[in-house]
Amino acid sequence: MLRAEPLLKIQLLILASEAPDAALELARFGVFNPTSGSPDGLGESPAEAYREAWLDAESRLSKLLEQCGNSSTLVVPADAAAPSLADLQELNVWLKEVWSACLACHEGEERIADESKHLDSLEETLSKLERLNVDLAHLLRQDSLLSVNIGSLPANGLKRVSEALSMTGTLVTQFDHVGDQVFAVIAGPRGRQEEVRGLLAQAGWRELPVPEELRTHPQAARSWLEAERIRISQLSGAECDVMGALRENFAPRLNEARLRVALARPLAEAALAGVRGKGGLAALAGWIPRRQLNALRATLETRFHGRYWMEARQPDPHEAADVPSLVRYPGWLKPFVPLVKSYGVPRYGEFDPALPFAFTYLLLFGAMFGDVGHGGIILLLSILFARKLGRFSWVGASAGVVSMLFGMLYGSIFGYEDIIQPVWLSPLHNPVYVLSVAVAFGVAFIVFTLLVNARNKWVAGHRAEAVFDSTGLAGLIFYLGAVGGLASVAGAADVAQPAWMLAIFGIVIVAGFKWYEAKAGLGERILVTAIETLETGINLFSNTLSFMRVAAFSLNHVALALAIFTLAAGLSVAGHWFTIALGNVVIIVLEGGIVAIQALRLMYYEGFSRFFSGDGIEFVPLRLETERSKV
Amino acid sequence: MSAYLNTRVSLYAERLWQAENFDALLRAPDAEIASLLDERGLPQLAAGFHSQDLLSLEQRIIAQTLDETRVLIRPLTGEARNFLIYWTARFEVSNVKTLLRGKMTGERPAALLSHLTPMGSFGRLDNQDLAHAEDVGELLRRLEAGPYASIVRHVRRAFELSHDPFSLDASLDRGYYEGVVKRAQPLEKCAGPGFRTLMAHLIDRINLLWLLRYRFNYNLPPAQVYFLLVGSNYSLTGVRLRELAAMGSLEAVLAALPQDWHDRLASAPDIPSVFSIMERTAAEHALKVMRSNAPAISRAFAYMLLRERDLRAVRALLRGRHLGLPGADIRFALQRMPLEVM
Repeated sequence: MLRAEPLLKIQLLILASEAPDAALELARFGVFNPTSGSPDGLGESPAEAYREAWLDAESRLSKLLEQCGNSSTLVVPADAAAPSLADLQELNVWLKEVWSACLACHEGEERIADESKHLDSLEETLSKLERLNVDLAHLLRQDSLLSVNIGSLPANGLKRVSEALSMTGTLVTQFDHVGDQVFAVIAGPRGRQEEVRGLLAQAGWRELPVPEELRTHPQAARSWLEAERIRISQLSGAECDVMGALRENFAPRLNEARLRVALARPLAEAALAGVRGKGGLAALAGWIPRRQLNALRATLETRFHGRYWMEARQPDPHEAADVPSLVRYPGWLKPFVPLVKSYGVPRYGEFDPALPFAFTYLLLFGAMFGDVGHGGIILLLSILFARKLGRFSWVGASAGVVSMLFGMLYGSIFGYEDIIQPVWLSPLHNPVYVLSVAVAFGVAFIVFTLLVNARNKWVAGHRAEAVFDSTGLAGLIFYLGAVGGLASVAGAADVAQPAWMLAIFGIVIVAGFKWYEAKAGLGERILVTAIETLETGINLFSNTLSFMRVAAFSLNHVALALAIFTLAAGLSVAGHWFTIALGNVVIIVLEGGIVAIQALRLMYYEGFSRFFSGDGIEFVPLRLETERSKV
Repeated sequence: MSAYLNTRVSLYAERLWQAENFDALLRAPDAEIASLLDERGLPQLAAGFHSQDLLSLEQRIIAQTLDETRVLIRPLTGEARNFLIYWTARFEVSNVKTLLRGKMTGERPAALLSHLTPMGSFGRLDNQDLAHAEDVGELLRRLEAGPYASIVRHVRRAFELSHDPFSLDASLDRGYYEGVVKRAQPLEKCAGPGFRTLMAHLIDRINLLWLLRYRFNYNLPPAQVYFLLVGSNYSLTGVRLRELAAMGSLEAVLAALPQDWHDRLASAPDIPSVFSIMERTAAEHALKVMRSNAPAISRAFAYMLLRERDLRAVRALLRGRHLGLPGADIRFALQRMPLEVM
């Protein structure tokens, strides 16, 4: 729970023909995280073609399923084998055929919709033409000198088209505007018609198919339009029939295709990390938890009966940054994990901060927002909206409970300080004491983070940093000495001389280490050492003082309540209770939100940033599609 | 925030390449190239110098540009930020063209994806999804539902009618640059005359070059040439462009240009020379803006124009070296002379 599970790197050599089944078996096993790296001399990528074929198939299948609306649960039989490359390619050919047929139907439907929209515009346009009383027969007559076109084009291109056409002696007259299209008459010399046609094709011009009847009898347009509409609706029906038939014909095999694509996924995903091979051999590399090694051997033995070779080894120190991090959390801690992961994933071997985070975050929240009533409301809301909030409702409920506990310690309920007796103290009446406790907590927290950082550095092999750096043991010695010295100055302790000596000892070690680490000229080295050493002191001092905000917010909580009571005191009974209720809502929403963020900020910047690099890699095992969807 | 951007631009300006830097790169032995590139602020190129893959060189140059843009836009908000982000979109439009060409030639999705430039946080397209489109039609429909819908919508209609890859490319380019002009307009009011002149140099150069190419290399009719140019209102207005497009020869076009342009370009024997002179003029102006106390966005844009000019020259030089061309040929290809601030 406090650190990642020990992992082993697995090298699995198998027959290339059995690689899909091996990857499938590893996916069923559920804790194999594929990675790159394979024995020397394996220069080929035998799974590359498989991955490509799978990607094609998966893409076509998902488009088809989207079209067909097939969302039934996929059941993967326990003994189903993964398809071979040839199977996958054959499946791909079939999927391509089906998708092409579907695409043709789909595009046909879109074309029909487009036609229908165009008819609507045309109807509107023709009614305007009728009103204009234009002699279309005369207008559209094929003349030896004049060429006339009626049609539509995108409205935003009209100006440009008109300007361009003016260069050919052609005139453009807009006579209607429907949606993003304008309808226009284009007239120009017949001799330059080819030039005009090329330009219009580029401009998205759409010729209006004005029927002969319309040219002579504009009123005939109505019946022509009606006939067109019937034709289009018949076409649409035909397309729907084709689509329906396609769905019916292909549905059974489409389900089978889903299964095959799901079974092929593990090798395709492993190939992304890198499956190497040569001749008839393929090598899969990956990480598994150490405690699962025997189980994996047994699984492979059952499936491949000795037709494999497997090597397992501990991660090398130099590859620590590439080892994924697998931490198992108890259910109650899981809701806090996303808050940690939003900062970063712990590196393999690093201390996992989720558990101390959960405790400290709740403690800080409660200390800053201690109120039985407000905590109770937060608890109640978290329970009421549990379904909507999901796992986060647990974080809210815990925060509510801790807030209530601190409320009892402070004797505060909905801001009233005189209803219940404080079990511990009232922050407003003991501000200096509360500030001192907050700073003491900060000191303990920073000591904890420095110890964790020293441990992390030591485990990662950076032993000099663990011992001598400002965030290591030397920094800790300086910090403890400085805290003791300052406490003595404040009269809280009497260890001034040994404390300051300890602080000087610590800072001298830190400075020496900085000097050693700075690879630069003498002047720059002096500057870097001086600045970085000074920064050590300033950082630790300011980080400690940051914890004063815990006390400040606990005081602020009471002060805000007092302000509301003062406002309410001057009002009538109804106004009084309305102000009290509204004020409490403001406190819960506004101050509660601020405190939640402040607690998170303290954890991230005064805590995590000191010991948590957050650049680890999450353990992502190969899984079957159906299992993944369940997680 | 403008103080941050101004400082950042001033720091970046020191990374711009001088003629002696190119000479040094040309003369340096292979082993020293990476460190030279690194010293001149090109870590992306230094990291992959020994790769022989020219496409990857292109991708690394774009990655370098995107890295710097990411830093420059950090303090910007609103229209200035939108403008600089859209300025990087031309790499993605180029990806769109690659995807379209790949679909026309039936290239495998994996191969197609390897040719695309990774856009990092600037990427707005789902390349995996697009590369797996079955054909150009499906690809265009998918693009139409994405962030470049306004550019692609009319392209699809034109493509359905003509099935002409040239019209696809030309329409995409025009759509992209019209987007640049549109996003620059609000800035021209607040970022001072320097910014407008930078835009004028950029768009006028593009329009003149396209005009010359479409008209005299591809022999398109004048009206079509004009239609394919970027609509703008800089030195080369619509009226002027129509007049130029109607001319019958390169010399006639150059003679009909505004006087100051004519003086510079009259001696240009061919289209590449026209490009070279115009690019140099634009770079001189950009240098002037960058060194002035113009608003930060103008200085940042000027820096980006100059940096990209440098990167083009570095690319040409590295390609020349990879191909084993003689130094004199590479120098000639660069045709680069020290900039003089006007």
